[in-house]
Amino acid sequence: MAKVFTLFRAGLLTLALALSFGCNEEEASGSLLHLNFNHNVGAQELGLNDTWYNSAAGHPFMVERLKYYTSNFALENAAGERIVIREVHYRDVEKPDTRTFEWKDVPPGEYTALSFVFGLDEVVNVDGGLPNTTTNINMEWPLPGDQGYHYMKFEGRYDLNGSGVIKPFNLHTGATGNNQNYVDVYLPFSHPMKLSGGTWQLNLSMDLNEWLQNPNTYDFEVFGPMIMANQNAQQVLKENGGSVFSIGAVEKE
Amino acid sequence: MNRKVTTIFTLIALLLAAACQKETATPPGNENDWVYNPTPYNLEVPAFFPLLDIPSGNPMTVQGVQLGRMLFYDPALHHEGARACASCHVQEFSFSSDPEVLPHINLAWNSAFLWDGKVQGSLEDIMLFEVKDFFKADLGRLEAHPDYPRLFYEAFGEGGITYERAAMALAQFERTMASGNSKYDQVLRQEPGVFLTDQELNGYDLFFTEEGDCFHCHGGILFTDNEFHNNALDAEPEVGLGAITGSPFDRGRFKTPTLRNIELTGPYMHDGRYATLEEVIDFYSEGLHASPTADPLMKALPMGGKHFTGEEKSALIAFLKTLTDTSYTTNPSLSSPF
Ligand code: HEC
Ligand code: HEC
Repeated sequence: MAKVFTLFRAGLLTLALALSFGCNEEEASGSLLHLNFNHNVGAQELGLNDTWYNSAAGHPFMVERLKYYTSNFALENAAGERIVIREVHYRDVEKPDTRTFEWKDVPPGEYTALSFVFGLDEVVNVDGGLPNTTTNINMEWPLPGDQGYHYMKFEGRYDLNGSGVIKPFNLHTGATGNNQNYVDVYLPFSHPMKLSGGTWQLNLSMDLNEWLQNPNTYDFEVFGPMIMANQNAQQVLKENGGSVFSIGAVEKE
Repeated sequence: MNRKVTTIFTLIALLLAAACQKETATPPGNENDWVYNPTPYNLEVPAFFPLLDIPSGNPMTVQGVQLGRMLFYDPALHHEGARACASCHVQEFSFSSDPEVLPHINLAWNSAFLWDGKVQGSLEDIMLFEVKDFFKADLGRLEAHPDYPRLFYEAFGEGGITYERAAMALAQFERTMASGNSKYDQVLRQEPGVFLTDQELNGYDLFFTEEGDCFHCHGGILFTDNEFHNNALDAEPEVGLGAITGSPFDRGRFKTPTLRNIELTGPYMHDGRYATLEEVIDFYSEGLHASPTADPLMKALPMGGKHFTGEEKSALIAFLKTLTDTSYTTNPSLSSPF
């Protein structure tokens, strides 16, 4: 019975929304927002395999693969009201079609901040929490006693203190035990984004250096190549994760 | 005038002859009796397996699967009639045989084929390669065959015998080659009375944690990530995927083989260098070789390997053997139809 009532209410709400949209068609049309993810290391654009970068801990490193999930994107206005899409987005730097996602019908408004979850929240990050596709299966976090999926696979090699001794690193983040370890990313716009229809491009950047330096220095040599069950390493990366993303240009087409 | 008439007569005669020839070439059972009314095939996907994308242009039908099965077992597909797919892809060995022959098991969930990734895409793509480039199939031989013209018609309708249709039929048959009934699967499905032994369980823990760390490449329900890696076999690796992409960073990267039915598909690795699973585990334990493209997921590379104890090695092997599915290698619907 409660269910029927909820459905009924949902129906009314839709009707109300439809009516309100219908009244002032011009202003009230939703916007199409393209969120484009770019990846760089400091000032340099990320190149897989072929470029060595400097890390704060003093070991030059290169990147072979970068795959991760983001979820729960939200836009916030000055009054603190938020519109949220509870969707999960997978990104693989080697697959260009995963670098953009479309947020359709964003209601008109003046938005002051974008927020999202880097990784997966506790609702989704359970075994079988994501659709059963080969991509998601490859991200599984099968450690006995743990749950869910890798949030990130950031894999490459480092050159120990620049000595020529090459070693592997694997920044695999995810939940360990009761530590969820996902990152709440909060990005205020420098000028409010006024949406009133049309198509928009919103460019975001992930600076890989920030995983390794801010506020904590992450030293590949200290944590070693295996960190899935190492909550200290997970905690450092979680804390560094807050400054990894930044908003670049916001443009209307 | 006379000449013209003669020409016309000759033409008519030729046409008649052609028509007659067609008559004689047409197999017994009149073409007009052939029916194109394919029955949808109900594909059973094992529990926990990922969603399967079947191309809309090649829906599964009983007639298509049956035709694919015949082509798979029939040397008539080969340009010299010398061998069938099944000559090398032998069911008893999970459709593998000699060193280097890749098994056929759950390929419906693959998107990159052959050790060096030469063919990427759908099963239809790899099958077209096999039929046309590898077998150089002689379509004339199939057209002259007593049964195939009718069987192609029943599976695909008007349009005759083409490389594409042979590939489509083989792809349909291949989609039925799903293995999900190993002891491991039965345990996952919590079938009564089926449990992993302590040793198998220890092997499972090694496999699916960073201690053994096999799962990053051979993980998930399919026991392969469908990607290409250099698993540190050699200090100077063979070219592998690099031959296809031309990238120096792909040197030494090979397709990650599934470990399902691994007990049955030796010898192991792309060149068949290891005769037994014991040798394979010894390699991951002590035998790794650094090279510029050795995969970062070979986390124990700086130590030359994982340095498993004897007990750990036996546990890993015991676990790998729980992936053996003999109901697959004896499944009558995958055996020779002849
Ligand atoms: C002479 C032995 C032989 C015959 C006959 C043969 N194959 Fe193969 N097959 C192989 C070998 C060897 C490989 C691995 C080759 C490589 O990766 O370069 C292979 C690989 C494959 C693969 C790729 C599997 C994977 O995991 O990527 C498919 C699919 C395949 N064969 C299908 C067929 C079909 C269909 C036929 C018949 C038309 C056929 N094969 C006939 C030896 C054979
Ligand atoms: C970095 C990815 C990676 C990891 C980690 C890895 N493998 Fe492999 N494995 C491969 C690749 C790639 C091949 C094929 C290599 C070749 O033939 O050149 C392979 C081959 C094999 C084979 C032979 C398969 C065949 O059909 O010939 C076995 C068995 C195997 N691995 C078991 C394991 C076990 C057990 C572990 C954990 C101790 C493990 N692998 C860890 C990537 C990996």
